[in-house]
Amino acid sequence: MDPAQNKLLQDLLAACARKDQGAFARLYQATAPKLFGVAVRILKREDWAEEVVQDCFVSVWNHAGTYSAGLSAPMTWMTSIVRNRCLDWLRRPNLEVVLVAADDDAEDPIEGMAFDGPGPLDQLASSADAKALADCLRRLEAKQRQAIMLAFYDGLSHSELASHMRQPLGTVKTWVRRGLERLKGCLGSM
Amino acid sequence: MNYRDKPELQDRLAGEYVLGTLRGRARSRFQTWLRDDARLRRAVAEWEARLAPMAAGVAELAPPRRVWQAIQARIAVSARRPQVSGFWESLAFWRGWGLIATGCAAALLGALALQQPQVVEVPKIVEVPSKAMQASYVAILHATQDGQKLVFVAYAGRHSDELWVKKVALGDAPPEHGYELWGLPAKAGEPPKSLGMLPKDDKGTIKLAAVADQSLKDFPALAISIEPASGSKTGLPTGPVVAKGDCLKFW
Repeated sequence: MDPAQNKLLQDLLAACARKDQGAFARLYQATAPKLFGVAVRILKREDWAEEVVQDCFVSVWNHAGTYSAGLSAPMTWMTSIVRNRCLDWLRRPNLEVVLVAADDDAEDPIEGMAFDGPGPLDQLASSADAKALADCLRRLEAKQRQAIMLAFYDGLSHSELASHMRQPLGTVKTWVRRGLERLKGCLGSM
Repeated sequence: MNYRDKPELQDRLAGEYVLGTLRGRARSRFQTWLRDDARLRRAVAEWEARLAPMAAGVAELAPPRRVWQAIQARIAVSARRPQVSGFWESLAFWRGWGLIATGCAAALLGALALQQPQVVEVPKIVEVPSKAMQASYVAILHATQDGQKLVFVAYAGRHSDELWVKKVALGDAPPEHGYELWGLPAKAGEPPKSLGMLPKDDKGTIKLAAVADQSLKDFPALAISIEPASGSKTGLPTGPVVAKGDCLKFW
């Protein structure tokens, strides 16, 4: 996200904190398609994603005053609200389980399976502040990268990752842990 | 698990929490720790900053229009309320959904609680000395577009299931549409509840599902939205909210 866009969203959030409904409408227009995309991707159901996005925007309206530009970028803040709500949604009891179909041909989800069109890393590269993350993801071992991307984009838990990747739970947990450690180290050095 | 003296473990759990692999009881437990551990919240914020840019790799998808309409209907309620209730809404929201959106937001909520220890919601009860007036619920709704303009009043005896309604200045609904009346719960996050369609005439009655003391007592405010003539098909407001206002106990 470029600095001008960042600043615009910060200003809109500040106006929302003052209960400016026009600013809230513009914030929605600017961010809802990305946030809805994130929610659909994790939940695999548009009706659930609609409910989550609705709740999250009401929450953003109510909590815009607690947003602090010094602590996180607006999109980071809002994305975290949506992802957390999705993950909590998936934790609901009695939820029909939506399993991601295992795909034998897809050894690595990075460049093909995950998205139509350009792979997610290509898309990341088009956003300046995400480029470092994309570079660091590329430097991970393939299995570590696959586990982290499936967890982030598709909301898979450790045990879902294990069954999807057909590996013992302990192995997958190690991939995730080491992958995150290396990612942190790599981002810290850039 | 003793995590407090183990910064590496804290950081690892924070990373897995943000990535989303921490689930079930481990996730709930972590969220509990987050509430009273500023260092852990900072670790979460740092991981959010590291990983959130991955969302840039997700294709955008425009949500259907009804999502925005439902959001508008819900914020119309909070916009109407004074700032102090926002604080309570916050608490209700965080507790109700068990959701820590970000460590930072939770931290600021904590700070708010310290700054405003004496905020008390004023009950919306009007004391009436005379016994001549029957105990009743009275709703007074103003136009959403113009908060000064009175557009609708309603009245129901406390022990009656008949709600008397009067459109003061609501005009006709669009063709093949009607006005639906909604009860708006005090607690943020709870959906509005339909009380029925307004009659076509300017004055009339709506039959409530139960006596007013049961069917209206949970709704400090009412709202009117434009819906298909037979009522909203989703059970929630789908059209624009044209009026809203307080529903008072009058006794």
